[in-house]
Amino acid sequence: MPPEVAPPPAAARRVPPPADRRSVTAWLGSFLALALVVWAWHGTEFEPSQLAASLPRLAEFFGRMLPPDWSVARTVMVGTLETLQIAILGTFLAVLASLVLGLMAASNLSPAWLHQPTKWLLGLLRGIPLLLLALIAVAAFGLGPLPGVLTIAIHATGMLGKFYAEAFENADPAPLEALASVGASWAQRIRFAALTQVAPDLVRDTLFRFELNLRESLVLGLVGAGGIGFYIQLYIRAFQYDKVATLTLVVLLMVVAIEQLSVWLRRRLR
Amino acid sequence: MALPPAVALSDVVLRYPGQPQPALRIERWQVAAGERVAVLGPSGSGKTSLLRLLNGSLQPEQGSVALLGAPLPARGRARRLARRRIGMVFQNFALIERATVWQNVLYGRLGHAHPWWSLLGRFSEADRQLAYDAIGEVGLLAKLQARVDSLSGGQRQRVAVARVLAQEPALILADEPVNNLDPKLVLEILDLLVAASSRRGATLIMSLHQPELARAYAARIVALAGGSVAWDAPAGQLTAPLLARIYGESGADAA
Repeated sequence: MPPEVAPPPAAARRVPPPADRRSVTAWLGSFLALALVVWAWHGTEFEPSQLAASLPRLAEFFGRMLPPDWSVARTVMVGTLETLQIAILGTFLAVLASLVLGLMAASNLSPAWLHQPTKWLLGLLRGIPLLLLALIAVAAFGLGPLPGVLTIAIHATGMLGKFYAEAFENADPAPLEALASVGASWAQRIRFAALTQVAPDLVRDTLFRFELNLRESLVLGLVGAGGIGFYIQLYIRAFQYDKVATLTLVVLLMVVAIEQLSVWLRRRLR
Repeated sequence: MALPPAVALSDVVLRYPGQPQPALRIERWQVAAGERVAVLGPSGSGKTSLLRLLNGSLQPEQGSVALLGAPLPARGRARRLARRRIGMVFQNFALIERATVWQNVLYGRLGHAHPWWSLLGRFSEADRQLAYDAIGEVGLLAKLQARVDSLSGGQRQRVAVARVLAQEPALILADEPVNNLDPKLVLEILDLLVAASSRRGATLIMSLHQPELARAYAARIVALAGGSVAWDAPAGQLTAPLLARIYGESGADAA
């Protein structure tokens, strides 16, 4: 005989299941989002028909890219490597600045009068558009990779400093207190209790930021701040699309290779 | 009896910011050098606050805290140096999980190490020897280079004890040192603490949850209630009715 199944308690039967009802705010929110899209569509005169009309020109553009002109491969490679160098040095400087500012912005390691203004400063750095920063740097330091490196360093610090601060804030406070209790100095506590704990996070954040720096430094040459970007605008303005094709392939290869390396490294961290 | 008391509190009031009630209010309390004291009391009675006060993690709002014969300096380098000979076994170990057993124990010497060289991981031969001996004393030499996050709970607690022993402590504090351990490990860790402290002539003050452990491992038992000392006497005098009073209504399951 199968065991008898107990009937559900009386209370559970009497209460009706809740009705599927959307709240007024949900309706209002959906409507508002839709209105914004319509407004933007109207404002930009986004016309699918215009897209269709441009197809032949697009085809011509791609047609003229083929076959790629490999004669510029050497020039392109040198420019690409310069971009890579800008990204590496810019990231390095950003790491140094972010370590200091990140510590200052961490609410568990710095007093309120210090961490709050530092957070604002980092927000300000993040707020300056990259190309604006690059234009100012070029105006101040002249053409070449130097303004590019500085632009990347400053722009990246805004984000990396915030990431580092968050990593420090997520550190377990117990080891910090434990090292204080053995008589360790402030520097020793930061070095051994805080940095040891968050090191994988810092490296992960840095690699991620390096990928962004690499992609951002590609466009810096457009405003004269060194690297491959100079050739991008040179070839496009001269309608030398076969050279653009070579450039695109080289850049794509480098970016994908470095991203794969970075992903692999990040996965190995623990 | 030339040794000054290990702990001498007088008129201490400890309050956490924003709390109307003080967490601790102790008029006079002393522990002689070399004593073995267990602190009992229900949750929230002030056990952890008392140990963190004795450890120098907390500052009293008023009153004086004298440890190892000298008032604990209020701040700065003097306070830092005074804390070096007070070892604390924390609840939940408080170890650096990504560091090795060796590193964690060696960090017990940070207060003695060179302020700059130590940042590069350089420690004196004497500091290294003390750390090595401490790891040997807790029986973890086989795990010397293992990362703490690969250890079991009992092994972690041994590392925490070894870090304290590397300090050459004159006063050993232990905040519920066996709370998170299997019953089998509880006796091992308490045996270790008692043996290590008596070998050094160090004073041992530990907070415990189970009165029978307090009776077995301490010579003197202090009971806290509402942040004050409710009872303080040799361990042998702790009786069931007294326990019921200390723990209030929950006395039955505590004993």
